[in-house]
Amino acid sequence: MDSQIHKIHQQLANKEMSCVALVTEKLNALKANTHNTVNSTLEDLALDLAAKVDAKIANGETIGLLEGIPFGIKDVYMLQGTTTTASSDLLKNYKSAYTATAIQKLLDAGAIPLVKENCDSFGHGSSSENTIFGSVKNAINPDLVGGGSSGGSAVNVAKDYTVFSIGGDTGGSVRQPAGYNHVYGLKPSYGRISRYGLMAYASSTDCVGPIAKSVEDIRIVLNVMSGKDVKDQTTYTSVEITADSITDASEIKSVGYFKNFIESDAIDPKIKADFLNTIEKIKAKGIEVKELDFFQSDILVSTYYTLAMAETASNLSRLDGSNYGNRIDDKNLKESYAVTRSENFSEETKRRIVGGNQVLSQGFSDEIYLKSLALRDAISENFEDDFKDVDIILSPVTPSTPPEIGNSLKDPHAMYLSDAYTVGFSLGQLPTLTVPQGTETGLQITAAKTNDELVLKFANFLKDTI
Amino acid sequence: MSKIMTVDILSSIKGAQPSEAVNKLFDVIKNAQATNNTSFNNNRNNCVSLDDLREDEVIESSATEKQIIIENFPKEKKGYLVVSKIIEE
Repeated sequence: MDSQIHKIHQQLANKEMSCVALVTEKLNALKANTHNTVNSTLEDLALDLAAKVDAKIANGETIGLLEGIPFGIKDVYMLQGTTTTASSDLLKNYKSAYTATAIQKLLDAGAIPLVKENCDSFGHGSSSENTIFGSVKNAINPDLVGGGSSGGSAVNVAKDYTVFSIGGDTGGSVRQPAGYNHVYGLKPSYGRISRYGLMAYASSTDCVGPIAKSVEDIRIVLNVMSGKDVKDQTTYTSVEITADSITDASEIKSVGYFKNFIESDAIDPKIKADFLNTIEKIKAKGIEVKELDFFQSDILVSTYYTLAMAETASNLSRLDGSNYGNRIDDKNLKESYAVTRSENFSEETKRRIVGGNQVLSQGFSDEIYLKSLALRDAISENFEDDFKDVDIILSPVTPSTPPEIGNSLKDPHAMYLSDAYTVGFSLGQLPTLTVPQGTETGLQITAAKTNDELVLKFANFLKDTI
Repeated sequence: MSKIMTVDILSSIKGAQPSEAVNKLFDVIKNAQATNNTSFNNNRNNCVSLDDLREDEVIESSATEKQIIIENFPKEKKGYLVVSKIIEE
């Protein structure tokens, strides 16, 4: 079983290396890196925690599986006393007053946070170029984008700067950069992990998502973060996924794929050929493969962005420089709000806020916003019907390979369309995992809502099959 | 009385205009067929049940949390947040 967490745990427990040495090595690599993955390091906290782990081991005490394991945090999560900038000018000096539930659970398990990671500002982007800390560079080819919005998190894992990282996925922000950087990235079922302490972008699709180099490490981290939380009343009680439960995929009898994704003119021919090749390998294993009908990609993208923009306009309305953030004073409070927001939000963030207010405003809400809600229901219903026929839906993660740095910023509409294969599953609130196999930007494995276990099970099957 | 406001006022962003890239998204929605007219579906319901509401009680923030909240104030005077002027309209 591939697992960096198990391997490092054994090395620490057997005193083959000290936790302080491990953390120091990772911090040095993070600080020296030229991929622009770091917004701030948590050096003092990390070394202090590492010394405590070493002391525990020296005393002969048993350590937990995650104790001493270094990890990274996308810079949209609260961790008390650290800066949480969302890679934005507005919050570049904002200090977290409390700690996100998901992060607290990892701290309670003994994991060591090293770094707040670069990302698209407020999660607004699909390339991790919309940031005040410099464009994140792809781990495999630094001329290309890292992917977004959790680009820094995916690159840190790919380059081994962190053992795992916690990204945030709203419309594909964990899955897409995971695909671009050849690592695993999970968007769990909506509500499986508490969103408390994750800076809200589009609340009805925001998910906490782990990025790691193996299915087993994803499973471990997912289990630790999952659970009902009174601070996020959309959360539900989930059952732990055991290691044994995801090794045997014999219950998976049928797999579906959306033929309009594959027959699209927009898909890269190589990604298409590789995807169809994977389908043949799955068939050869005796699994039935079905072609499924689905909404056109442009409808999925438009529905997602309409709702996400409406929600972000609402969520970001609190960012006016009055209670926190980089305020610019003007002649009165109202003018101060306007100047602060005009000067401190990025072009992409402003574009989304304006779009959101546009669809929520008089004359537009019925025609666009309410219709998008109806389309979302229809999309969800489509998924429910599909999962009566198939156990798993397989799809490419992206239609194309990562763009060169600079290109996405020139054409926002093209950037929105690059999310064509990820946003539908977000609207359905389904568990979806990127695996670094099958195509240049990976494959996406999706199961019915709350069936995260089946996704991990199929990922293990694919690992052995292709 | 309803008052029509422009998006720059609604968004508190000076000079903001609708963008062409975003309008392209909206055009797709306008032309799409929303076939769904089904009733409420529990599987897509993320609301909490009435039997499962959290306790209606005040939870005191820790001293550290309060201190950081004050530190984040752009302007502070004797522990209070300072703003330039109250809107009177």
